[in-house]
Amino acid sequence: MSASPIARQATHSQSIPSKRIFINDPKELPTDYSSTPGGTLYSTTPGGTRIVYERAFLMNLRNSPISRTPPKNMPSIPADLLKGTPAITTMAPSPISKDIPVIEESPEQFEMDM
Amino acid sequence: MLNIRSYNSFYKLVGEIEKKEEEIANLEEFPPELLIKHPLQNTWTLWYYENDRTKNWEQNQREITSFDTAEDFWSLYNHIKAASELRQGCDYSMFKQGIRPMWEDDANKNGGRWLINLEKKQRVTDLDHFWLEILLCMIGEAFNEYSDDVCGAVVNVRPKGDKLGVWTADCDRSQSVIEIGRKLKERLRITSKVTIGYQIHKDTMVKAGSLTKNTYTV
Repeated sequence: MSASPIARQATHSQSIPSKRIFINDPKELPTDYSSTPGGTLYSTTPGGTRIVYERAFLMNLRNSPISRTPPKNMPSIPADLLKGTPAITTMAPSPISKDIPVIEESPEQFEMDM
Repeated sequence: MLNIRSYNSFYKLVGEIEKKEEEIANLEEFPPELLIKHPLQNTWTLWYYENDRTKNWEQNQREITSFDTAEDFWSLYNHIKAASELRQGCDYSMFKQGIRPMWEDDANKNGGRWLINLEKKQRVTDLDHFWLEILLCMIGEAFNEYSDDVCGAVVNVRPKGDKLGVWTADCDRSQSVIEIGRKLKERLRITSKVTIGYQIHKDTMVKAGSLTKNTYTV
């Protein structure tokens, strides 16, 4: 048969987008798992087709190892939005939950089914 | 005697090592699709609204974080409170990056929203899975060619009854608005007996929320 629907849609040839990121300091390296400097890199289709995910596919990724890691900018997320903190904590934040947020996270880390 | 005993402990040790190696091998046996990040068509931003009377409405809208992969979506979703756990008066909003969750934004000013009013009891039964379903529709581009008209979605947690809104860019693009509404109803499994309405932001601005007329219904 002829080309796939995706191949047929890409009628114009285009150069593959690329960018160069220079690292001057180790601090510029991302700290989170499986990211590359300047944003995570993917192979792309020039001129692109829409990236559509079925519900079941997305649900299947819900508990993948990467999906269970903490979000990349966890410290900037208000503490009372994070799971495991009671809803009414904004007025009197307890010193424990403020100083060692890492410990709040740790029980979840140990629940991983490997 | 001694030799036999050390042989026994040696075999026991070998057995343990083999077991450990097996565990490590199992770790490596995750299917590859679970070990890479899946890029989304759009970058999405999560907003959180908290009703602090010392601040104005706009100041109470806080931009939390943005993500552009399915895994980054889940790692955020898995670590923050469900909508039903928010305090009354709070909102979550998820919009395409660059669009603020307010009528005045250029991307929203000609638009409107599909509104789903929940009964009080539905906070327990439906709120969280409806909200998740809307988020999955948006990040997965479930509205197909009409997905470009979707700006974002808002969940309002309110004492009188929670509300879910899916915001689209242009109220005059009737086909797009209706197709988005139909898909929404299908994915949320809202029965055909129940209708949901689309309200134009400009109408909502001049009238109190629940009195706004529905421009479209599905």
